[in-house]
Amino acid sequence: MTHTRIINTLWLVLIALTLLSAYMAERADTSFISVSIMAVVLAVKGRIIVDHFMELKKAHIVLRTLMRVYFYVIPLLIIIVYLFPEQIARWTAL
Amino acid sequence: MNALASSYVPQTKPSAEQLNFVVKKANIPGSMAIWFAILAEMSEFAIMFVVYFLAKVHNPELFHEGPTRLSTLAGTTNTLVMLTSSFFVVRAVIAIRANKPKQSANWLWAAVACGVIYLIIKAFEYHWNTTQGLATETNIFYGVYYYVTFNHFLHVGWGSAGLIWVIYRINTGIYTSNEHEGLINMAVYWHMIDLAWITIFPLLYVIR
Repeated sequence: MTHTRIINTLWLVLIALTLLSAYMAERADTSFISVSIMAVVLAVKGRIIVDHFMELKKAHIVLRTLMRVYFYVIPLLIIIVYLFPEQIARWTAL
Repeated sequence: MNALASSYVPQTKPSAEQLNFVVKKANIPGSMAIWFAILAEMSEFAIMFVVYFLAKVHNPELFHEGPTRLSTLAGTTNTLVMLTSSFFVVRAVIAIRANKPKQSANWLWAAVACGVIYLIIKAFEYHWNTTQGLATETNIFYGVYYYVTFNHFLHVGWGSAGLIWVIYRINTGIYTSNEHEGLINMAVYWHMIDLAWITIFPLLYVIR
């Protein structure tokens, strides 16, 4: 596959993932499964942009790692905050 | 003896190897300076996301109800527009590498158009919110929503202006297939604005 074709395909993947999120937003219920799917969708979208649009896939390891870690941490926080809201509220109460 | 003596002669000029070490470019797209800016901005957005998470755990009802009163259509459309603009910017980079500056400028104009569409949709969304009685002081969810999204709105504004500047530089023949670091800098900065939005979208519009 040529570089251009890879980029075209990834763009379509990003669009499809966004529509999946929108569909989930319209559903009334929030469950562990739906929150996990949204977190994974964010992780995948972030990784595609970092690796292929920003072209960091083969770039300097420090820069690549910093940018990739962002899209592990935020999705993980989404899941942790969904699972343990009361505990986090207790720990962060002034 | 002579060879030994010459080895003690202090070198006034750095060797080719030393020079190579100094000028050897780290393997990063664009310049180091733009990456400092990007990492600083990503950190700024990260702080906003932490504020969002903390406000959410302390106000679960408000953050459950908040997204239901926002326009999912506006949020989704703007996500599609941002992702598409990023795609256009990648195509502009591919075009300049293929020595097609005119094509590259056209892709960037398409990205600018996306930036403008984004700003118009966001303005309509803010107006729509106002008619629904949603404002910064309505409750903490909308306070966070306006703070984060307006901050991002400004980024799209000056990012679009930056893209126009890069188009001007392409049209004046400054960027070639071999030398177009300024275009790459703007491209990665624009992708950062896209990254911020794809994170904001699920947090404020989707997750309850």
